[in-house]
Amino acid sequence: MNQEELAIASVPIQHWGQIYEPDKAFCRGTIFPDLDKPFYVTETGGADKSASSQGSILKAMENQGKKQEEYSLRQIQEISFVLDDLRLYLDTHPRDVNGLELLKTAAQKRKELLREFARNFYPLTGDCMAEIYETNPASECYCWQSGPIPWEGGCV
Amino acid sequence: MWMYEKRLQYPVKITKTCPQTARLIISQYGGPDGELSASMRYLAQRYTMPLKEVGGLLTDIGTEELAHMEIICAMVAQLTKNLTVEEAKAGGFDAYYIDHTAGIWPQAAGGVPFTAKEFQSKGDAITDLTENLAAEQKARTVYDNLLRMITDPEIREPLKFLRAREIVHFQRFGEALERTKETLDAKNYYYFNPEFDREKAVTPNIQYQ
Repeated sequence: MNQEELAIASVPIQHWGQIYEPDKAFCRGTIFPDLDKPFYVTETGGADKSASSQGSILKAMENQGKKQEEYSLRQIQEISFVLDDLRLYLDTHPRDVNGLELLKTAAQKRKELLREFARNFYPLTGDCMAEIYETNPASECYCWQSGPIPWEGGCV
Repeated sequence: MWMYEKRLQYPVKITKTCPQTARLIISQYGGPDGELSASMRYLAQRYTMPLKEVGGLLTDIGTEELAHMEIICAMVAQLTKNLTVEEAKAGGFDAYYIDHTAGIWPQAAGGVPFTAKEFQSKGDAITDLTENLAAEQKARTVYDNLLRMITDPEIREPLKFLRAREIVHFQRFGEALERTKETLDAKNYYYFNPEFDREKAVTPNIQYQ
């Protein structure tokens, strides 16, 4: 349907198009270039340009020798955000094959990254915690409260 | 059912105490167009949505708004970390300080407390989805206004991210409205209320693309 009618709002249905890479999507706040509509105030300031410059933040983190923990968390944030944005797209486009393909690969990637992060650092989810005890039943540590508190700025 | 994941959706790392900015940003927590009212609005509206898919979208956007509320609260908390009484006074944060110290409490930038009046739930799919389209625009305008006033990149980056999400959510609510229209009388969208007069709703004959 999706036609304009009198006396009711109409918004065109989005079609699948180009997709940003996870790091760029995370910086722009959407995986869809078609929906990336910045505010001029943030496009002209010098400070903003450098902060959101489109070079990979992951690469920059590597170069700065950032801790592996921060690097791994950033990877999780980026791939999780791809899934956040994709979920809403698929809610209104449940039969979109391109979206479904991306869902499968991104969901798998996130699962692997979460598992690796729990193994090396601390669990981000309850399920990750279960896996730690699965591989190490003798563990005497209640690890849910391990790691920095998210809202205190420890998780960058 | 909700499960907590121990991270912010978008990182917040603010290194300078600035109660003046906290006073502005807190509006996106407890203000009329803030993330608290957004999450509560969508999570309340979903129970009576005629289309299952639209109820699902409201759950997912409402859930994301909870994560946005966490981002805003983290910003306010970090902007008021190690706050001194002098800084509170100089930053116009003294009145807030008297009632809440540096605790996080939902209010608008002008000091008006959060109220349930901010989250609309009308029991009519067209009305509620149109409300949500407007709500996303109102939140975007608040982020625009914040971005005009705040220059510190540590604060601007999360605000830019949150602003971008409002535009995506607007698009999705628009698509939800289009789907809902398919179940209505195409000659007169206002002939019945699809949430209340459910027996009158038309089964869409066009498959989801």
